[in-house]
Amino acid sequence: MSTPKKRNFQIEAFKHRVVVDPKYAEKTWKILEHAIREIYNHNASGLSFEELYRNAYNMVLHKFGDKLYTGLVTTMTMHLKEISKTIEAAQGGLFLEELNRKWEDHNKALQMIRDILMYMDRTFIPSTHKTPVHDLGLHLWRDNIIHSKKIQTRLLNTLLELVQRERTGEVINRGLMRNITKMLMDLGSSVYQEDFEKLFLEVSANFYSVESQQFIESCDCGDYLKKAERRLNEEVDRVSHYLDAKSLTKITNVVEKEMIANHMLRLVHMENSGLVKMLVDDKYEDLGRMYTLFRRVPDGLSTIRDVMTSHIRETGKQLVTDPERLKDPVDFVQRLLDEKDKHDKIISSAFNNDKTFQNGLNSAFEFFINLNPRSPEFISLFVDDKLRKGLKGVSEEDVEVVLDKVMMLFRYLQEKDVFEKYYKQHLAKRLLSGKTVSDDAERSLIVKLKTECGYQFTSKLEGMFTDMKTSHDTMQGFYASQGGETTADTPTLAVQVLTTGSWPTQSSSTCNLPAEIMGVCEKFRAYYLGTHTGRRLSWQTNMGSADLKATFGKAQKHELNVSTYQMCVLMLFNNADRLSYKEIEQATEIPSSDLKRCLQSLACVKGRNVLRKEPMSKDIGENDAFYFNDKFTSKFYKVKIGTVVAQKESEPEKLETRQRVEEDRKPQIEAAIVRIMKSRRVLDHNNIVAEVTKQLQSRFLPNPVVIKKRIESLIEREFLERDKVDRKTYRYLA
Amino acid sequence: MKKEETVKLISAEGFEFVISKEAAMVSQTIRNMLTSPGGFAESQRGEVRFPEISTVILEKICQYFYWSLQFVNGKETDHFSLLLGCNFHEYLMSRR
Repeated sequence: MSTPKKRNFQIEAFKHRVVVDPKYAEKTWKILEHAIREIYNHNASGLSFEELYRNAYNMVLHKFGDKLYTGLVTTMTMHLKEISKTIEAAQGGLFLEELNRKWEDHNKALQMIRDILMYMDRTFIPSTHKTPVHDLGLHLWRDNIIHSKKIQTRLLNTLLELVQRERTGEVINRGLMRNITKMLMDLGSSVYQEDFEKLFLEVSANFYSVESQQFIESCDCGDYLKKAERRLNEEVDRVSHYLDAKSLTKITNVVEKEMIANHMLRLVHMENSGLVKMLVDDKYEDLGRMYTLFRRVPDGLSTIRDVMTSHIRETGKQLVTDPERLKDPVDFVQRLLDEKDKHDKIISSAFNNDKTFQNGLNSAFEFFINLNPRSPEFISLFVDDKLRKGLKGVSEEDVEVVLDKVMMLFRYLQEKDVFEKYYKQHLAKRLLSGKTVSDDAERSLIVKLKTECGYQFTSKLEGMFTDMKTSHDTMQGFYASQGGETTADTPTLAVQVLTTGSWPTQSSSTCNLPAEIMGVCEKFRAYYLGTHTGRRLSWQTNMGSADLKATFGKAQKHELNVSTYQMCVLMLFNNADRLSYKEIEQATEIPSSDLKRCLQSLACVKGRNVLRKEPMSKDIGENDAFYFNDKFTSKFYKVKIGTVVAQKESEPEKLETRQRVEEDRKPQIEAAIVRIMKSRRVLDHNNIVAEVTKQLQSRFLPNPVVIKKRIESLIEREFLERDKVDRKTYRYLA
Repeated sequence: MKKEETVKLISAEGFEFVISKEAAMVSQTIRNMLTSPGGFAESQRGEVRFPEISTVILEKICQYFYWSLQFVNGKETDHFSLLLGCNFHEYLMSRR
């Protein structure tokens, strides 16, 4: 404090009355004792607070604090002993009410006593390290009432009985319960725990152990979970209404352990109602319940996840290995997508979009999709189907959805290079036949593949698109240079110039083109080579198509959409009405397998039989003869005579593709080995295999045996050498 | 001022000071007297008798209450103890 003017100012000590009366303390205490008794008897209205306070104040001041304190303890103890008798005497249900009433009385009295003894509480007690009046009152209550022999067990049993009654559906006085448990908490958390909570948890555990056993014998999984959920909610409700909030985790742990953890496996595997059944029947609600309940217990979610994953693996395995399914690739892939959708929906609506569940689902799909070596081909066929016709009239967004789904399946593939192979073939066919529905969709998918697998993966696919574009420009240039020479009589030529390497190489089997066509072709060749020197053009007649105008018997005109081969065959009939198989073969030089197929589609398909065959049969024989079918009719002006389009491959084709894929892999594996060795210099065999596998797994899963062969080949070519001491270690030779 | 809002403080000589409850309750002890549950005589009658405080001092005390109410905003200062000696301060101002 800042007091500038310091004076010699002394405050005289307050002069107390000198206590002469030796019985002063005794008398004063009598007054206070009387007052305490009156307070307990609800008779305080006659008492003067000031007088009592002053007396207590003076007692402490005159060093009789100890007497005051011990007197208080004795008096209060005596009163509480009396109170305990009346509580003990209360009959049956009145017991708790009496206890509660006396507790309230005691609290009120305690407050008043503390108020009049405030001075003691404030000065004497801290200096002598005694228990403050309020706490003292609680301790005495605890020792004399709650821990009295006749009350302690009775109280506990009454409380437990009430809880039990509530569990069996009776309505109990929750307010009273709340007051009593509140009292136990007020007396200290140890009192609440020791005198109630501990046994409450034990009794609950027993109860739920027995009940869950009954339920599991009599209910199916869904019902059981409903019951467990209800019990759990009841306990939560109970805690919020009349128990200590700290009991919440303890009691829910008990329920979780007894009702869920102990029966987890049995529930999940329950016949006809367990997890698998729920998954099959899309029981979102039950699944969601199972998820939220199982999440509460250790290993709960992993249990669900494992069962779900193995279920998906199992069903997926059946799906991909079912020979029936292999007949229709589009349906096959659609089923995979449906399966994925189904489980995605389950995970999002019942499993809280749990990441680990999604991972489980993904790993399961990855597992079974790769069980079938034809999956890459089928997925490509599915895309082919969608891009040819499936997406007609579908909005752009829906197209994206379908493509995204396809990409998702693609991600599961281990042999992405195989997919690329097929995709290239199918894309080539689509582009060349002009069958693709939406250029945007095509490009969008390429972009997706590019983001997934990198530039290298799609560079050739993009090359194909560029070729299409340049070809278009070239054709315009070509016709411009011809200066409108084309008349109705000369055929219109559309050439697509394909870069070798970008397009799937097919054994080039040229046929003899009709003279009319040859003429235009030569003109084009001259034009093209004129503008691009140093290039070589060869005709891929097996990939082209043609539109023919034909007049039939009754002056019926039709436009026939056919393949180049078919065109060649049909053109022959301009000069002859009947041709034998041999003649056709000689004239066109189309490879026999292709020729047979092409003739079959010209003569044997109803509604498209512009040729007639003798003898009439389904198959083409070497000795068959063909006639121009005068009687051909069709309600359409345009008739599309398709050779069988991008069907799934036959067995030999499949082997061939496989072989090509294996061939393509060799340089990739070698490149990977060299890259690795260049940076590592020295590495042992197992590590090389592991590294190579890691590097290439975004494209395919290399076979260790193949890797070994490549290493050997690299040693032969002196890229690597074996270590002289450790033969399992290789060195890089720069 | 309504009767419920006032309290009567009576000195040893029987001199009565009627002051507002709010001011009287500057003293924690008087606050206890007036608010303690169970209804002591003081809270029922609305008056407190101080047989050991003389009129002069009680008047000073009442002045202090108003002064304190206005300037101290419930915070205790040492002025009161200086003015009246520690004893009454202890007696009247003891806090919970």
